[in-house]
This record gives sequence, C-alpha cells and structure tokens, in this order.
Amino acid sequence: MPLDDTILTTNNVSKTFGSKTKAVEALRDVSFSVARNELCILLGPSGCGKSTLLNIVAGLEDPTSGSVSLDGEIIHGPSRQRGMVFQSYTSFPWLTVFENVEYGMKLNGVPKAERTERAEKFIELVHLSRFRDAYPNTLSGGMKQRVAIARTLANEPEILLMDEPFGALDAETRWHMQEMLLEIVETTHTTILLVTHDIQEAIFLADKIVFLSANPGRLKTVLDLEFKKGAELKSKEDLIALPGYLECEREITALMRAEAGKSEEDY
Amino acid sequence: MTGTIGQSTTPDKISGVAKRSMADTSSKTPRRRFFEFKKDIPTSWSITLGVAVWVSFFGVWEFAVWQQWANDILLPGPVKVLSALYTMFADNGFLNDVLISVWRVLLSFALACAVAIPLGILMGTFRTVEAFFSPFVSAWRYLPAPSFIPLLLMWFGAGDMQKLSLLFIGVIWFLITLITDYVKSVPADLIRTSVTLGGNRLQVLRTVVVPASLPNITIAMRQMLAVSWTYLVIAEITAADAGIGAVMMRAKRFLHVDEIMAGILVIGVLGLMFDFLLRQVYRFAFPYLEGRH
Ligand SMILES: Nc1ncnc2c1ncn2[C@@H]1O[C@H](COP(=O)(O)OP(=O)(O)OP(=O)(O)O)[C@@H](O)[C@H]1O
Ligand SMILES: [Mg+2]
Repeated sequence: MPLDDTILTTNNVSKTFGSKTKAVEALRDVSFSVARNELCILLGPSGCGKSTLLNIVAGLEDPTSGSVSLDGEIIHGPSRQRGMVFQSYTSFPWLTVFENVEYGMKLNGVPKAERTERAEKFIELVHLSRFRDAYPNTLSGGMKQRVAIARTLANEPEILLMDEPFGALDAETRWHMQEMLLEIVETTHTTILLVTHDIQEAIFLADKIVFLSANPGRLKTVLDLEFKKGAELKSKEDLIALPGYLECEREITALMRAEAGKSEEDY
Repeated sequence: MTGTIGQSTTPDKISGVAKRSMADTSSKTPRRRFFEFKKDIPTSWSITLGVAVWVSFFGVWEFAVWQQWANDILLPGPVKVLSALYTMFADNGFLNDVLISVWRVLLSFALACAVAIPLGILMGTFRTVEAFFSPFVSAWRYLPAPSFIPLLLMWFGAGDMQKLSLLFIGVIWFLITLITDYVKSVPADLIRTSVTLGGNRLQVLRTVVVPASLPNITIAMRQMLAVSWTYLVIAEITAADAGIGAVMMRAKRFLHVDEIMAGILVIGVLGLMFDFLLRQVYRFAFPYLEGRH
C-alpha cells in the first residue's frame, strides 16, 4: 500500500475497560488504514467495539495499547483534525442553524467573513438554506443531523468520523441522508470513517468495509466491494440493480450471523 | 336547548361548547367529563376554576366573620384586612419596611448566586472539584439554617448582617447542589462535539456547559428564591426593628390581627411577583426552548 495515499492508520489498537478484577476487553489488536478521500465503513455486530474504536480514533478515549496515527503522526487527544458526528442529536439548541455551523470555526479563530462564507456554503450543501436562522428545536431529526454534518465539514477536518449518524432516523429519511452523504463526498472529497451495523447502509456508502468480529473486537476482514467499482450510484435503487449486489449482501449477512452466533455462545 | 334531547346538558353548560355538538347527529359526540385522568382542560375552565377557589376562600372567610364563628379581633374580615393594608401604606410608612425586606432578600440571594453558580458549574463539570466540595456542601445542607440564629445574633446583633447571613446560608447549599446536578445532566455528546471541533477546556465551559445549563440554573434560582422568602420572615420575626416580619410582630403586640394578615398578604403577593418575574426572564432569555414546555 503506497504510504502517501494513507491518511489514517490504527496500529494494534487494544482496549480493555474497567479494573483488574472486572475487566471488559472491547478491542484486541485492531490494525487497519483509511486512504485519503475514501469512505471507510466500520461494520460489525452489536457490542463488538465499533464505537470504542471510533472514540479512540477521535481521541476521546485512550487505547490500552497500540496507537492511531493521522498523516503519519501519532494522535494524542481530540482535535479539530478529526471531527465527529454522533448518533444523538448534538446541534446546540441555543444556537441557530447558521450559528451552529459557524461554531467550530469560531472556536478556531477563523475570521468572520470567511466563517460566514464557509457556513453558508455548507448549509447549502446539506440543503438547509431555508432554515438558516431556525433553532434546532424546530427541525426534524434528519435536519438536525444535517446541521451536525455541515458544522463538522465547515470546520475542515482531515477526516470525518461518524458513529451511526443515521441510526435514530426512520428508514426513508435514512435513505435520503445516505444519498446526500454520497453527494457531499462527491463535491467535497472528504475522507470519512463511518460506523454502522446496517448492512445495506454499509454496502451503499462504502468504498471499503472494515469488518470487526465480536468479543473482543478484532479485525475479521476488509471488504473492497469490487462489484461497485466504476458504477455511479445516485440512489439505493441503483445499488440494488447492480450485478453482484445480492451476492455481497448475502456474504456480509452470513459474516454477521456467524459473529452474532459466536457471541451468543459466550453468554 | 331543543337540539340536545337525550343528552345531558350539564357538561356542555360548564364547558361553554354546547354549539359544537349540535350539527353532529350521526356519531355520538364525546362528552366532556369534569373528572378526566390527565387530560388538558380548556383555558376558560382553568381561569374559571382558578377564580372560583379564591372566591370561595374569601366567601367562607367573610361568612365566618359575619356568623361570628370567632372573635373578630382574632379573625377580622377580608375588607378589614384590606383597609388595614391601605392605612399601613398610606400613614405608617409600610412601603419602607417592604423595601427593606425586598432588599434583604435580593442582596442575600444575589450573593448566594454569585457563589453557587460558578461553584455549581465547576462541581458539575469536573469530578475533582466535586470530590473536594461535595462532602462539605452535603453536610451543611442537613443543618437547618434557623439553628444558626442564636449564633448569628451573638455575632452580628439584630441588624442587617444577621438577616443577610441567615438568608445566605439558608439557600446557598441547596442552590449549589441543584446547579451541580443540572450541570451534570448536560449531554456528554454536546461536550464531545465541541472537543472534536477543536474546543479547549475554557471554550467548552463557556460555549457549551454554561449555555446548556443556564435554563435549568434559572429554574433552580426560581425554586430557591421562594425558600429565601421563608427565611426572611423567620429572620425578621425573631429579631428586627424594620421589615415586613418586624411590622407583623409589632402588630401582634398590639393585637392588630388585621395588620398581621395584611403582612402575610404582602409577602404572598411579593413571592408571586418574583416568581412571575423569573418566569418571564426564562421565557425571554431562552426563546429557543419554546414549545418544549
Ligand atoms: N465506558 C465503558 N466501560 C466499560 N465497558 C464499556 C465501556 N464502553 C464500552 N464498553 C464495552 O465495550 C464493548 C464494546 O462497546 P461499543 O459501544 O464500542 O460497541 P459497539 O460495537 O459500538 O456496539 P453498538 O452496535 O451496540 O453501538 C461492549 O461490551 C461494551 O459493554
Ligand atoms: Mg456503538
């Protein structure tokens, strides 16, 4: 793998929660990398440590051993280079949509003129221009997530981290959001690491799927989704119509079931 | 009421919505019951009922006086109380006492807030700060403030200092505890969002923790201001030469029950006024919460 193409790597990341007497091993020796402009999906059964891994990448949690590096430098703690969108709605209720999107840039001392321009651009990008001055309280769940995405992107992170960003949304809204995310990737060429346990979402969005096995979370396999290469996906329908899609979904479902079955035996 | 044959008219009369059900004969119109589990009632009902309780109260009171159920020195009628109130304001300089009381409450409460708000925010945010102060604060919370009155009297005499310090220790510990709890309930993901956008400690505190907990801090203040009024009366009744409580104790010496009652009335009205004021502050300071309550 050419080194200059890699933006993020995790090197043998392990994480054990709790004390010596009652320890929970969440991750063991996870190593993978994300290439620049890639949309990488972290997939795996519930409780396999996806969120933990993403939090470690974000710097919100320290690995018990191993390290994460961004652009070849080992990370310590959170920074604006690794912006995060959470599953819960995190738009600040006391700020309008515009002020929310402007928020990160304000923290980092971006001059006002540039701030306004960038905020407006990203609000447009997530189709919220009409709600520029609305408070999040008056927005739907999908719109709140769009605010969060615009806010993080406007802050120009090296990589966008997302932990089940559409997990709380209803199915239809989720499709729209997924399609919008692909649109955004097309225009901004952002690198994204996204956690999900929705197989279809993973296949639709991913350039690459990193599959974790359960108890403790280990790297099971990395899927490159060859069947998608070169295809132009605008909507879910395009994906489903693609030759090889069903085969891929079947394969991943089988992986998922095997892992879920395994963890049941552990209980 | 020819159109309502076979229907009970009583609930419609009360609700004032009799017309609504006339045209609809195909389906049986839902009857509005007077006692419904956890159902919202029309505004007209709540206003009527709210007025009704006060009318009944004053009615029973006046009736009791008229019937001479009690000695009219011990139980003057509402009219007598109101006229006593007028005389107190017009001739006896009662306004001055009211202002002194209000000033005592506001000053001591402002001091308590000046300590409790920053401390509560820090305790709610940083576990270390909480671990240091919490055992201390909790202990003081269980000491009833009035038990300090003898001590405060010896230290400060019967002057303002004694009143202010009693009011201060009466609310400060609860205020700190309430604010700490409210600050703790700020969603962790809001803080993590700010941190991953590049926020440093001070920025997170200033741009997330404080604005996120400010509405609830206002609620805590509203709750504790009511308590502050309670301690004011206790302080002024035990020893004071001025203030509403002092006037009431003086009235007791001369058996002026109407003046005592007038004092109670004023305290009640003031309490309601401040509560209303803080409620308005809440509405205007946090317009983005509209529709949540
Ligand atoms: N703070 C913590 N303390 C102790 N154990 C934890 C903590 N956070 C996570 N764990 C444990 O680590 C394991 C992985 O949790 P994690 O939330 O990362 O899984 P996940 O893959 O994101 O699951 P889900 O799909 O349900 O979101 C679980 O067994 C969980 O109980
Ligand atoms: Mg998770």
